Amino acid sequence: MNTAQSLFLLAPEIFVSVLAFIVLLGEAFAPMRKKLWINLAIVGLDVVLLYFLLFFFNEMLPGAKMMGMDQFSEGLSLGFGPAFGMVLVDSQAIFFKLALVLITIIILGFSLDYHEFADAPLGTYAALLLFSLVGMMLLVSSIDFLLAVIALELLSITSFVLTGFIFKRRSSSEAAIKFFLVGTFSTAIFLFGISYYYGYFGTTHLSPILNFSAFGQKPDLILNFIFIFLISGLGFKLAMVPFHMWAPDAYEGAPTPVTAFLSVAPKVAAIGFLLRVLSEHQAMNLTPVIAVLAALTMTVGNVGALRQTNVKRLLAYSSVAQVGYILVAMVAGGALGGEATLIYTFVYVFMNLGVFAVLMIVAGQTQSEDVGTFAGLAKKSFGLSVVLILFLLSMTGIPPLAGFIGKFSIFAAILNSNYVWLGIVALINSVISLYYYFRLAHQAFFVETSETTAPLYFSPALISCLILTLCVTVVAGILPNPILQWVRNVIGS
Amino acid sequence: MNIPYVLSWLTFLPLIGGIIILFTKKENSSLHRTLATLFSLASFVVSLSLLPGFDSTVPQMQFLEKASWIPTFNVNYQLGVDGLSLPMVLLTTLLCLISIVASLGINHRTKEYFFWFLLLQTGMLGLFVALDFFLFYVFWEVTLVPMFFLIGIWGGPQKEYAAIKFFLYTLFGSVFMLLSMLAIYFASGTGVAGSERTFDLMQLSQMAASGQLQFTARTAMLIFIGLYLAFAIKIPAFPFHTWLPLAHVEAPTAVSVILAGVLLKMGVYGLLRISYPILPQATQAFLPILIVIAAINVVYGAFCAMAQKDMKRMVAYSSVNHMGFCLLGMAAVMGNPNAAYAGISGAILQMVNHGIITGSLFLLVGVIYDRTHTRDIGAFGGLATRVPMFAGILIVQVMASLGLPGLAGFVGEFLCFLGAFGGSFGPHNFKIWAAVSVIGIVVTAAFFLRMIKLVLMGEFNPKWEGKLPDVTFREMVTLVPLLALTVLFGVYPSLVLDLINQSVGQLVSLFTVSLS
Repeated sequence: MNTAQSLFLLAPEIFVSVLAFIVLLGEAFAPMRKKLWINLAIVGLDVVLLYFLLFFFNEMLPGAKMMGMDQFSEGLSLGFGPAFGMVLVDSQAIFFKLALVLITIIILGFSLDYHEFADAPLGTYAALLLFSLVGMMLLVSSIDFLLAVIALELLSITSFVLTGFIFKRRSSSEAAIKFFLVGTFSTAIFLFGISYYYGYFGTTHLSPILNFSAFGQKPDLILNFIFIFLISGLGFKLAMVPFHMWAPDAYEGAPTPVTAFLSVAPKVAAIGFLLRVLSEHQAMNLTPVIAVLAALTMTVGNVGALRQTNVKRLLAYSSVAQVGYILVAMVAGGALGGEATLIYTFVYVFMNLGVFAVLMIVAGQTQSEDVGTFAGLAKKSFGLSVVLILFLLSMTGIPPLAGFIGKFSIFAAILNSNYVWLGIVALINSVISLYYYFRLAHQAFFVETSETTAPLYFSPALISCLILTLCVTVVAGILPNPILQWVRNVIGS
Repeated sequence: MNIPYVLSWLTFLPLIGGIIILFTKKENSSLHRTLATLFSLASFVVSLSLLPGFDSTVPQMQFLEKASWIPTFNVNYQLGVDGLSLPMVLLTTLLCLISIVASLGINHRTKEYFFWFLLLQTGMLGLFVALDFFLFYVFWEVTLVPMFFLIGIWGGPQKEYAAIKFFLYTLFGSVFMLLSMLAIYFASGTGVAGSERTFDLMQLSQMAASGQLQFTARTAMLIFIGLYLAFAIKIPAFPFHTWLPLAHVEAPTAVSVILAGVLLKMGVYGLLRISYPILPQATQAFLPILIVIAAINVVYGAFCAMAQKDMKRMVAYSSVNHMGFCLLGMAAVMGNPNAAYAGISGAILQMVNHGIITGSLFLLVGVIYDRTHTRDIGAFGGLATRVPMFAGILIVQVMASLGLPGLAGFVGEFLCFLGAFGGSFGPHNFKIWAAVSVIGIVVTAAFFLRMIKLVLMGEFNPKWEGKLPDVTFREMVTLVPLLALTVLFGVYPSLVLDLINQSVGQLVSLFTVSLS
């Protein structure tokens, strides 16, 4: 493969980088036209999205080979040396990139009318988001730890800045500092793990662990030791227990669109990478470790969420728990486990962003992020409260919504493995989660406020985001076959 | 009359009505009431139209509908009714219509109320006509959400606690059903072409009967217990009954009617439709425990009811007692085939009768609660002279509930006892438990008669002077059909028994065949 072809594989990343620079520099010339830059970023990302959707339809319609894209389904890699590239563009990477681009578009939509951003430099903000997107897109494609570190750092550093983006609010800066300290620490741990990895395998490339069982190598204690560091490093990004402590504080302090971003994007990217790193976890004898981490992550997340009074903190713990479910799918392994990981990740993105969209509409009026901000929502807007309920039910895993399809796939996968106990832990956890999700529903429907407040403001951008997330949550629940078929093709290829 | 896709229409008509209500103005209460009544009535009429076309001489599923839904997991949208589900469908549409008429007096947030109510109706009907386990599970869960809101918004003082307790309890049960459902699914095939896994309930029960669906005894028992947890919480079987009195007391009248009349039946129906035919070995092994639970339900439920001062709570506990009779009949499935036949028929009949009788008892308690805002048994007295029509209906329904021959309750209970008395399992003989359960009947008679005495006889409490008009026309509309059915099924139970005969026969024979 020649250089031009290699660059073509990276075209989306290059495009987004260029877009980020345009937005960043553009703001310097027209600093007053803030929203222009966000809108430009959205339009640019829509182009990237269309590009990825072509792959999607290619996956869905095996008969129709568009533009010779079928070669990607086998996966193409590029980099130094003929065999060991650093970047792998396969259908799994494209799946995650599609999700990441969609997330960023939705987050940009959230940011358009966010009240704290009224006098913030939105061009810089959009550029930071785009850079972070580049980092994540590279992460899900990387098959070399060196590239992964660079991608992770690109993601992390932009996230720190985004968290502290409201300089005037102390809690925002505080959150950024906490996030920064923990984040750099986790990178150090990750690097330490990589140094051992290099010593063990003689390479930073993922190929020894991607085909671990094929090499006929026996897992040993040192390997487990190395992976504890690697998983810990990624665990911080995932907010996996016991590396989740930063999440509630960072989520609470960050501006709400950034919180929404943090609750999905880095997790999706880290899962995309983890799925590669742990693709042979059974052969490497790592399954028990991940199973225990999964059980802890679910339980600590759910129990921690029970007593939260701030919606953003509650959602932080809930997102910790949700990552736990995804880890359960990874523990299950095999084709079913891989499919379940992808389905749940995809579905989680939309239902979680949906809750944030409702929160932003409601909090935009009440200026409060307390659980009580939802009080009397059914009276103010019955439609919006029904939408909220649909998202919450989906998060709990009640049919016929997308979250149920996700949970169903996870339970199916785990029941088909040797870890039935983990499935039971997950089931009990989803019952616990009902309690705190329905505290929001309780506020919306059961608490009746007597005060008459100004009507809710539905900004067009937020409404579009709401409709998009709602459609995915409902349609993927009632007619789940396309998405199931899609991930089956992705995993099967 | 042949309506194409009749079961889909029947199931989704209420939902269509509910969605239309969502798009109406919040203030237009009379429109909400009209729409809800119309769509529920339509669903009832459609369900009645099943009767002439239903062939009760064959045990097969009828009015079948099948469409591929999620081919990736081999899930099908598959509906049908047989003798077991048809009475449940008719009971549901009738009680829903009556409950909607009974809730016409609701003034608070009518739009939401009728939306949730119609959604609930769709969930229940879908459950009874679903022939695919996955679909069954979806409808099972769909019923939870509207119930949560109906109790939590329009209920009594402790409504919010009651609502979340109900939701958590039932969800806890149903997640284990999900696990068992998946375990059965994975055992039903290898997943390769030619041996597809399936959720099809009919196919699964045939596989169980022909020995294709094999589990080790331990696995089968675990799967059975997973299903049993879900169903027992719904029934509710001791010791999972504690959510019921609370939910009943806090729920508004019409919701209590549905709760007792239909939702509790979902548990028994699930056992008969899923656990019994698909896991016959495990069911058999469980029978000695089931009969004990049944006896506890009957006796303990009756004693609890006796201890209550609140009339609604008393009727709620009497439901625990009456659902015990169902379990008693169902425990008889082994041993003498005639006893098994009587027991299962009795259980189904008891479900129908309990729905009708307890439904009207809740309506009657609602009638005086609406007027006096108390349900304390001691607060009344001498109502028989002041509200004679109310008193008359109450006496008939109470007599039916305590099993007076000639009224509906008697036949079902008698058949259940007949079955339990003849039932046995290996060395275990169920006669002793049948005998213990008779205590329950005596206690039921005692607490109901005491209620009659305290409420209808004696001195009139002057506090209610002028506040207690007799039953209004709308209340009569809800009470009289149920009264008529109580008498009709008491005098001529074959109306129901003829419908269910063949299906019960098939269930019993399938059970004996698969174990031989």
